[in-house]
Amino acid sequence: MAALTRARRPGPRRGGGSLVREGRWALVFLAPTLLGLAVLSAGPILATLAISLTKWDLLTAPKLIGLDNYAALLSDDRFLKALRNTFFYTIVSVPIGLAIALGLAAALNTKVRGISFIRTAYFLPVVTSTIAIALVWQYIYSANGGLLNEVLGVFGIPAQKWLSDPTLAMPSIVAMSIWQGLGVNVIIFLAGLQGIPTDLLDAASVDGAGTRARFRHVTLPLLTPSIFFTGVLSMISAFQVFDQIFVLVKPRPTDATITVVYFIYENGFKTFKMGYASAASWVLFLIVALFTAIYFWSQRRWVYYQ
Amino acid sequence: MFTDRTWAGAGGARPPRLLAAFAVLALIVSACAGSTASPSTSSAAPAGAPSGSAAAPVSPGASAAGYTGPEATISYSIWGDPQEIKNQQAIVDAFHAANPKITVNVTVSDWEPYWDKLQTSIAGGDAPDVFAMDGPLFPDYQSRDVLLDLKPFIDRDGYDLTQLADQAVADFTTPDGQFGLPRDLNVVALYYNKKMFDAAGIPYPDETWDWAKLAEVAKKLTIKDASGKTTQWGFYTETTDMENYWSELVWQNGGDIISADHTKSLVGSDQATGGIQVLQDLIWKDKVMPDASITDALGDAFEQGQAAMESNGSWLVATHQAAGIDFGIAPLPKGPAGQATSINPTGAVVYKGTKNPDAAWEFVKYLASPAAQTKLMELKASLPANKEVLSGPFATSFEGAQVLVDAIDYAHIKPSFKGYNDWTIALQNELDTNVFNAPNKTVKQAITDVLPDLDGILAGQ
Repeated sequence: MAALTRARRPGPRRGGGSLVREGRWALVFLAPTLLGLAVLSAGPILATLAISLTKWDLLTAPKLIGLDNYAALLSDDRFLKALRNTFFYTIVSVPIGLAIALGLAAALNTKVRGISFIRTAYFLPVVTSTIAIALVWQYIYSANGGLLNEVLGVFGIPAQKWLSDPTLAMPSIVAMSIWQGLGVNVIIFLAGLQGIPTDLLDAASVDGAGTRARFRHVTLPLLTPSIFFTGVLSMISAFQVFDQIFVLVKPRPTDATITVVYFIYENGFKTFKMGYASAASWVLFLIVALFTAIYFWSQRRWVYYQ
Repeated sequence: MFTDRTWAGAGGARPPRLLAAFAVLALIVSACAGSTASPSTSSAAPAGAPSGSAAAPVSPGASAAGYTGPEATISYSIWGDPQEIKNQQAIVDAFHAANPKITVNVTVSDWEPYWDKLQTSIAGGDAPDVFAMDGPLFPDYQSRDVLLDLKPFIDRDGYDLTQLADQAVADFTTPDGQFGLPRDLNVVALYYNKKMFDAAGIPYPDETWDWAKLAEVAKKLTIKDASGKTTQWGFYTETTDMENYWSELVWQNGGDIISADHTKSLVGSDQATGGIQVLQDLIWKDKVMPDASITDALGDAFEQGQAAMESNGSWLVATHQAAGIDFGIAPLPKGPAGQATSINPTGAVVYKGTKNPDAAWEFVKYLASPAAQTKLMELKASLPANKEVLSGPFATSFEGAQVLVDAIDYAHIKPSFKGYNDWTIALQNELDTNVFNAPNKTVKQAITDVLPDLDGILAGQ
């Protein structure tokens, strides 16, 4: 599509020379971002690698201790618990979140009155601060007169301690996060759906495909790039889950909901163990990198590019 | 988003870099200010330390009459809510009026970000000149050599430390010197709702009360509706920190939290676990106190007018008044080993790298002075650290204030040692999960399980 559009565009820019020039211009426009990345992200990230090899309390000089931090992490029950919780969060929230977003996008991809209002409504949580959202959900989840328990009570279901029961706390946070993140994925899926050429769908209809068959054999395959894209974003941010935990359940320092990033925060800024926290963030980084690599590798098996 | 910021924070480079930029800016600004300021007119007191090194103060003969150094701007950071900035500003303004050559900029942060910011700004070499210090966290900072020893200033000015509450002063004293002055202090006592006591025809709590009496009255004051739902609780406290009640129970039972040399956890003794067990029983056996799943949403049940008694700190006086509760204050009920409560001072400390040690000292001294302490007292946020104000105007400033002042005599200082956060997170996590939020274990069992971790943390300091 893109290539076609460019070829049709009139103008003097033609041939290999213009590509090089375009490339240069692209670099110029990218420079601020690249510079920012190098100075503000790459630098600190590399610094944490060095810090992770030290015992550093932030206030006095760091002491080189080699890989001791990493060794200690492996036998730290709290860290392992944080890893388990983070994996649980990611494995549950990403697929469910994507599936719901896809269904919603398909439902919203119609031309009815007020559809843009409805679409906006689904996007609202994305632009609302997590703090505000978490406070509302704190009320929803409240064990004593909370909205959810009141509604369930109508059906005779006993009140649950959504946030303080260790088995319910993590699923409760997953549910809130899915709702909160829905909007981004819905928008991307909507764009993907609207990019599907109607002639393909029409052709399928002519060949006798029903609504379901068209979705399964035309829409879904053409949507796989969008699914791939939302998948990788959702996965990476799921591994870094922090703010929901910080606001919703922080007052209870029980381990039921500790995640890796919370563990990093606590060690770095509360218990004066910046080296240890840096090591934990590198372990997380490697895990995220590994899963992202596997995910990218898998795309040739299921992602169809037009 | 939030997550990204955390990452950058963990990298440790973004905030300091920004701060460094601000520091440069601040330097330029202060340099300009300095060049226009007239140098000290007093021949006797070349009190400034322009080299920036936090060296020992100069000229022991300097007059105690006030600050005579060059014009200086210092920063003062505290934790608190936004309201606090107005209160502190009033104190700072009064200080400026008395010392026109010193300008103080106050910043207020929430409790959590306060410590995050403080650590990164110290790491970046640009910490506030004067900042508030929590008693228990003091050793973690002092031992890392970031606080200025005030002893030379105290000696120079002949400053009388005995005008301040003794335990509070001692909390900031180490064998190496005096690393801060107490600004205010908090003790824990028993709040009671008069209306609820009157309605039940029960006499108010007094100093004769013991644990048994507390449980007995709390049961009487716990009211359920027809469906069995509790509508009024007999008792409330916070379980997430030792200070609110459980450390007091340990002391009242003859136990202790940690050994004097800070190498051994003592919470595993029968006296200690027996004390904490009282709190678990109030929640899960007697059911006179709401458990965490309820208080998470409800907040302070006493403040909400849903609990008849509360064990908590003196910092809640203004809060409970604002909530319109008609309350009285009594000493905490006695245990088998007698009366005990917890005292926890907040201090004002000086950053070792300050460019204006003399101005900073002058300000710290002012914060502890009767003038500033009287202003603090009016906020009812905590007890003044200055004895003159404490036993003078404060004791009569509201009903029950005298009880708080008297409590200082039998109060134990809130444990304060290196690794405090690490140690308490591990312990509280076990207690919250298995003792207070759900009665999965007895206190004895829970502490036995977590004790090796606790002593491991102490050994690693």
